[in-house]
Amino acid sequence: MGRRHVSRQDATLPFRGDVEIRLRADASSRAPALVFFSTALVWLLFGSIEGTLASLKLHMPDLLTSAGWLTFGRVRTAHLNAVNYGWASLASIGVALWIIPRLVHTELRWPRVATAGAVVWNVGLVIGIALILAGRNDGLEWLEMDRYLADPFLVVGGGMAGVTLLATLLARQSGHLYVTVWYTIAAFLWFPVIFVIGNWPTWTGVESAAVNWFYAHNALGLWFTPMGVGAAYYFIPKVLGRPVYSYQLSILGFWTLAFFYALNGMHHLIGGPVPTWMITTSIVASVLMVIPVLAVAVNHHMTMVGRFGALRYSPTLRFVVLGAISYTAVSLQGSFTALREVNRVTHFTHWTVAHAHVGVYAFVTMVLFGSMYYIVPRLVRREWPSARLIQWHFWLVLAGIALYIIPLTLAGGFQGLAMLDPAVPFQRSIEVTRWALVSRSAAGVLLTTGHAIFAYHFWLMVRRRGPTREVPPFHEPVPVVYERPEGQA
Amino acid sequence: MLPSSLAVVLTGLGLGVGALAVFAWSWRRGLFDDIPAQADLVFDERDNRLERPWETAEQKADRRRRYGELIAPEPGEWGGAT
Repeated sequence: MGRRHVSRQDATLPFRGDVEIRLRADASSRAPALVFFSTALVWLLFGSIEGTLASLKLHMPDLLTSAGWLTFGRVRTAHLNAVNYGWASLASIGVALWIIPRLVHTELRWPRVATAGAVVWNVGLVIGIALILAGRNDGLEWLEMDRYLADPFLVVGGGMAGVTLLATLLARQSGHLYVTVWYTIAAFLWFPVIFVIGNWPTWTGVESAAVNWFYAHNALGLWFTPMGVGAAYYFIPKVLGRPVYSYQLSILGFWTLAFFYALNGMHHLIGGPVPTWMITTSIVASVLMVIPVLAVAVNHHMTMVGRFGALRYSPTLRFVVLGAISYTAVSLQGSFTALREVNRVTHFTHWTVAHAHVGVYAFVTMVLFGSMYYIVPRLVRREWPSARLIQWHFWLVLAGIALYIIPLTLAGGFQGLAMLDPAVPFQRSIEVTRWALVSRSAAGVLLTTGHAIFAYHFWLMVRRRGPTREVPPFHEPVPVVYERPEGQA
Repeated sequence: MLPSSLAVVLTGLGLGVGALAVFAWSWRRGLFDDIPAQADLVFDERDNRLERPWETAEQKADRRRRYGELIAPEPGEWGGAT
């Protein structure tokens, strides 16, 4: 009896080579991807509750102030770290672990190392967020977790997942690299660099602020963005069954992001005590971002043209397309906000908070939801139990994020204009935002409810509560396993 | 006098120049030679033959002409539930 084997010449048989490769790739990433997704959802729920509580405190300041760990400074910081390093990072890594083996036509190398990486990363998160709630915080935006007690776990855990992906890439059976591979692998190379630089303990004073914003902005642009755009470049063509409109444009988008993005973050310090030429350099780099953004936007839109009806049939596509549209919106808004004349109004206002949520939620999280809707059934070999729960999830999070972003963006503009007017008392700049803060809390409730539904649905899936099927879904029922003839090399 | 944010400038430039070096290396290795093949990497044969309910009759006919007889999608094929 020969062993299971796939070779190029067999690809001429109906489905056999391709589907076999895909099934093996999926099987190899099953355990680590599920661990990353499961723990990501726990952090999403925790982060949502913390975020809603922090929002309520902005217009109900006496709410739950009896204990230190319930005060705004700790709750809001715990929310930020839970959703960024818990939800978005873990889910993104889970997506990467599933996509890369498929695209390089081989199995995931060392899947147990990746699974262990998820455990290590989560240990770091538990330590870091527990310390934040206990009042111990490094005092830097997006870098609040303790750099000695928590962050090393993230470096090691992320490194373990990254090493498995790099080993898988090196063992690839495909002769080419799809653009998603470029984005994803680059993110895994960029993130450790910016994370270590951001956490380096020697920066002080102004330099610390500059490095802080270098990190915080690049965490979005060189970690979450490539993961999200890479996933969108996979799922939109995959569901539609047609290649991206222009592959050259996708390559242009990736490389211009790689060349220009790293200098973007300094525009957060407009008006700050840093050399003007550095701020100007950052503004120029921010405006140059229009190139990769339009490349991605045109490509995704033109790929969808003539196929928009697919949005009715595919929850994956609905979430991912919404995320892709939001990517265009948040990036163009970012370039616009980086201009000095705009920034002098929007700086220190809720505009920035809304902008961050367009990026991390409307773009990254929507893409991650869509990705998980596609991936999880292929990992657990059963379809989602309830179409209605998917509908509820989609409409709740869509309504929630709209109710969050639109009022807060408008109120941020009003707030900035009020603060710039010397005839208007400062108190007034607070009062003009109150309606938006209430709307933001209502949005938090909607979003948290949507997340709870998604997490419950996921739990039903992994607990095998979905419809039973005679054959595993998503591949042809005819077995693709065959034998190599005896004696053949 | 060194700028107060030399670390940021050097790291930012390092990442950009590093990307440029990888791009040049990739170009010389021929990683951008066969663009159509790269664009099709995302599909396996089954993807191409799946009947997509949102496609027009002309689009389905084109798919049939290029890839052969279409096959029915599985329940939940597009990331949803039946």
